[in-house]
Formats: sequence, C-alpha cells, structure tokens
Amino acid sequence: MSRYNDKEYILSVLAKNKPGVLLRIAGLFSRRCYNILSIVAAQTENMEYSRILIVVSGDDRIVRQVDKQLSKLIDIENVTVLNKEEAVVREHLLLKVERNMENNEKLVQIADVFHANILNVEKDSMIVELTGDATTINSFIELYNPYNIIKILRTGSMAMVK
Amino acid sequence: MKLTGAQIIMECLIEQGVDTVFGYPGGAVLNIYDALFEYKNRIKHIRTAHEQGAAHAADGYARSTGKTGVCIATSGPGATNLVTGIATAYMDSVPMVAITGNVSCDLLGLDSFQEVDITGITMPVTKHNFLVRNIEDLADTLRKAFIIASSGRKGPVLVDIPKDVTAQKFEYEIKNVDFHIYKTPFPKAERLEKAVKMLRDSEKPFIYTGGGVIAAEASEELKEFAELLDAPVSSSLMCQGGYDQKEARYMGMLGMHGTKTAALAIKNCDLLIAVGTRFSDRVLCNANLFAQHCPIIQIDIDTAEFNKNIDVDLKLKGNAKEILTHINELLPQRQHKQWMEQIFEWKDFYPLEQDCLSEDEVTPKEVIETLDRLTKSNAVIVTEVGQHQMWAAQFYNYRSPRHFITSGGLGTMGFGLGAAIGAQTANLDKKVINIAGDGSFHMNCNELSTAANYNIPVVELIFNNSVLGMVHQWQKLFYQNRFSETNLDKTTNFEMLANAFGVKAFTITKREDIEPVLKEALELNEPVVINCLINPDYNVLPMVPAGGSVEAPILEI
Repeated sequence: MSRYNDKEYILSVLAKNKPGVLLRIAGLFSRRCYNILSIVAAQTENMEYSRILIVVSGDDRIVRQVDKQLSKLIDIENVTVLNKEEAVVREHLLLKVERNMENNEKLVQIADVFHANILNVEKDSMIVELTGDATTINSFIELYNPYNIIKILRTGSMAMVK
Repeated sequence: MKLTGAQIIMECLIEQGVDTVFGYPGGAVLNIYDALFEYKNRIKHIRTAHEQGAAHAADGYARSTGKTGVCIATSGPGATNLVTGIATAYMDSVPMVAITGNVSCDLLGLDSFQEVDITGITMPVTKHNFLVRNIEDLADTLRKAFIIASSGRKGPVLVDIPKDVTAQKFEYEIKNVDFHIYKTPFPKAERLEKAVKMLRDSEKPFIYTGGGVIAAEASEELKEFAELLDAPVSSSLMCQGGYDQKEARYMGMLGMHGTKTAALAIKNCDLLIAVGTRFSDRVLCNANLFAQHCPIIQIDIDTAEFNKNIDVDLKLKGNAKEILTHINELLPQRQHKQWMEQIFEWKDFYPLEQDCLSEDEVTPKEVIETLDRLTKSNAVIVTEVGQHQMWAAQFYNYRSPRHFITSGGLGTMGFGLGAAIGAQTANLDKKVINIAGDGSFHMNCNELSTAANYNIPVVELIFNNSVLGMVHQWQKLFYQNRFSETNLDKTTNFEMLANAFGVKAFTITKREDIEPVLKEALELNEPVVINCLINPDYNVLPMVPAGGSVEAPILEI
C-alpha cells in the first residue's frame, strides 16, 4: 500500500553471511508493515559478509524507523540510507521477445540505441540484456512492448556511493 | 578437557552464574537431561507441568532478580509450547535464554518426528536466535546468547541444539567470548546541556517512568532526580516500584487506567520527561491527543523507540542510570512549590476508589489493601491479565523495584502462576503472591502441581467473579451488555481442584473473612489457593475509552 507522499529510498545493508539473515530482514519488513519494492543480495569482497540493497517506499519517518529496526538485528553490521543523487544506481534486465522476419530489424535497432546486448537468438525469439537506471530500463521495455514480450526478468536496484 | 555437548551446556550455564533452570524433558533433550542429572548439585532444575509454564517461570525468575532466566524444552511441541512465554518476555524486554533440543542434524528438514523450525517460528519474538549445527560452535554460541539477552535493551534469545550435537564430544575450556554486539551509547555533552536547560526552564515538569528504570536499576537515581527537579512522578504498568509509591510526589499510573491526578498533571505540565519507556498505546491512548502542548524529553536505550509512537523534542540515548546520574550532577536544586501543592491537592481530591456495590461486600480494593498491610508492602506481587491485574497495580503499594511482575506488553493470560513459581524460586526469603482472575487461573492452573511437587510456597489469590472481567467490562460499556462468551462456567470447584493437586485452599466470601484468611494463608510455608468471591460488576476505573485522550479519563460508569 503506497501513499500519496511516499518516496523511494535505497538502503544499503551490510550483513553477516549467516543462515536466515535474509529471512530476518524480510520478516522485519513484513511484521512492521514496511514496503519492499525490490531487494538485491550478494556476497561482498569479504566472504563473511553480504551486501543487501533494499528499495523501500515510505516517508522520512518510516525510513528512519526501518533503518533503526534493521540496525538492531544482531547479524547486521551496518545500514546506510543512500541518497540517490550521490549514488550510482543500476538495475539489470533480461528480456525475451518474439521475433519474426518482419520485426527482426526493428528489434535489433532498439537494442543498439540502448547499447543493449543480444545474448541469444532463436528461430522465433531473442533475449536481450540491459543494465541501467530504472528510467532507462522502463523506456527500453516500453519500446519493446508492441512486439510481444515473452518474459521479463529484472533485478532490483544496486547502488554504490560515488 | 573433552566434554559432551550436553556437558558443555551445563558448564556454560555455570559460567554464566545460572543456578536454576526451568524445563520439561523429551526425546531430543535426553542428553541434556542426562547432564542435568550429573550436575544436579550445581544446577537446580524445576520441571513444570507444561513448557509454557517453564518459559513464564524463567521470565518470573529474571524479572524478580535482574538475572537472565533459563528454560529448556524438547523439539517440536516442546519448543512451540515455549513460544507464548518467549513472546511475553520479548514484549517486556526480559532477559531470557531458551534452550531447545532438535532432531539430529541428519534428520533436519525431513519433517522428522517432533521436528519444527523453531528458529524460524521464534524469529519475530526473540532478540536473536541460533541453530547450533557444529559442536565446536556450541560454547561460544551459548555465551553470545547470554550477552545478547542481557545487554542493551534486554530480551529473549533462543538456542536450538540438534540431539547429535549434545552427544558429540569437544574440548571445553572456560573463556570470555570476544563479542561486543552492543556498546551502550551515551548522549553528547550538548544534548545533556540542552536537557538541563529545558529542565531548569520548566515550572511544571512531569516525570513519566517505564520498565527501563527497573531494567537499568536506576531507581535511586530516579528518586534523586525527582527530588532535585521537584517534580511529580507517574509510571507505566511496567515501572511499578521503580519509584517508592508511598512518596508524596508519586501520582500513580499514567494511561488507560491511570489516576486522575496523573491525567490532570499531564494536561497542565510544561515539560514531560520520559525515562525508560516506549510510549505504549496503553499509555498514550490517543497519540494525537497526548502531551501536545509541551516539549518532551525521552531517555531510552533503544533508539528505535524515539519518534516511533510519538515525536519527541529531545532524545537522550543510553542507559537510564548513567544518564540520570549525569543529569543529577548538572542540575541545580529546583523548587516548584505551587505546582507540587497543586499535585497534592489533586491527589487528595481524586484518590483511587472502589465502593461496595452492596452493603458489606468484598471489594478487590479492600482485599489488596489488606494484603498490602499484612505483607508490609514488601511481597512480590505477580499477576495474570485482566481486571485483577489493574487492581493489583492500583491498590498495592510497591516500594521498590522487582516487586511487581506482570505481562504488560503481550498481556498474557496464564502468565502469573508460572512466573510466580520462578520468582519464588529466586526469592526464598520473600512472600510471592500471584493475583489472578478465575479466567486466567483456569488457563494454566496445571502449574499448581509444580508448586506442590517442589513445595514452592506461592500464594494464589483468585478474584473469582465467574466472568472474564475486563472483556465483560468492555461489553458492558461498548457492546450494549451483550455478554458474548464472557460468563464463565461456575462448575469448577477451586478448593477441590487445589486439594486434588495437594494444595491447601481457602475461600473468602464476606468482608470478615478477608483478614483472617489472608493471615492464615500467608503464614503457611507451602503453596496455597485463596478463592475470593467477588461481584462481577466491579469495574476498573479510572478508564480512558478507546480513542479518548489520556487527559480525560472517566471516573465512573
């Protein structure tokens, strides 16, 4: 349930690589009624830690609560609320689209305009890959929309302070 | 020295100063119970009638001593039976370590007999929990569990140990684990200076205290602070006895069933100082109508409690004892003669009252006040949840901390008897009285058998009105007397029930019974049940109805 004046915040969470740590985070969000828009988790350069990036919708007050409640979890080392202006934000997209002789050229053209990679081509479909911020990815999908998209896989936001 | 996992558990408990544990045996904890047999001269084990009772007993032990309470249960149903007790401790920030057995590692995840994912189940109601799959992690995990449970904002920690881990052998040595999860924060100097300035500028300050005062052992500092500031003191349900209630400046509880004096004082104060309290909805009533006219200073160890239920003007993050000590050094003696006189006037004008509904009837007030007199305000009072809980909070004079034990946050009916057993085990020199309602008593009366088996001399005082009083009161007020399912069966004979457990029982039916029965029961050095029959129409008053302002309680119905 998002409300009119809700904004999006990106939280960068450094967590110990313990079993169930994602469950602890997800459980906290659900029981405290915070909204997760997307979540990306992966090991860091240090094998003992994971970096988890969570996009939350809410107001300032909620995001401060999320930050403080997350910080109380024993397996969490550090929580940072990232300012979008001061960070590089990227999402990753895999898109499978129907292909035929008529639209083939158009599909490749769109990919070229966005510097997207064509990863695989089959007789009647192809898979393209794109990395970019949310707006770019949304535009990219919009352009493919008329051509019968078969499947979309999209990660949440990854973000790093500049 | 090589020890089995079960022996390592015993050694770690001894390392942590644990002398008593509460639990119930079962398949997955056979090794642990075998070790308990071996260590029985060093660790006392109380077997309750039900695992829930064990969790509440560990909780009562912890609340009455400040030490971490320990309970043990087997896998599956044993572990799930602890959950209500763990949640109760979690909501009231009580330090507890719950040890559960689980099926052997090779059977985990296979829906094995008596297997549940208890770490998954208890995640929302523990500060943290562990599943120990490797014997080499066992000792340090237990040590960490005790550190987590008793540091910062305290709370329960669960350690789940598969059966094979308790059988394996591993090298054990006493050591301190290097595990600093929590560095107690302390406010910056400028914040403290700002606080002192606000305190000095205030002409009508109001101190609102919560369970954090008791958890931080800050009663003496609080007393000094209140006297320096020359301010009246009120408390939440969780801080009964945090301030000597016989002191003139104590106004009683604040909140849904708070005193009229506290309500008038908060309406008229010009500064609210909240110490170790989380502005629970039972105190705030309507958050939008709570202390809107005055600045608020909040002292708390858990930063997540700042600006959670209500916005505050100055946050002092840290241990209440340390912060109050510091403020007491900086704050010059204040005088608020007029304000305090006004408070005393209100106190005289609005005492807590409960008149006999018909002539010569037993009132809960008279029973509890007689109990207060006979025990010289020095008994440990435990409660269940409901009307009797509020009466126990209102009419007994708690003069020092850890003498009132109640489930405030979770409101767990069935909490009291188990908790009383735990509290009595830890306080052999004190009278422990569980004040109950007949509804709550019915929930977990099985624990009378524990009290009888171990001759734990708790007094079970049941206010028996044959209704679920608090819900009944709400139905009376807001549901047009439609008493849906709150009229209890009257067929249980509490005296015979007590006798069946091997427990003596008394009945109070009229006013003349009160003193002699209480006297006789208190003099016994064995568990005893007092069935005190009361009229179902006694209400808990004052009362702030749902959505109302804390400043305007209703005084009569």
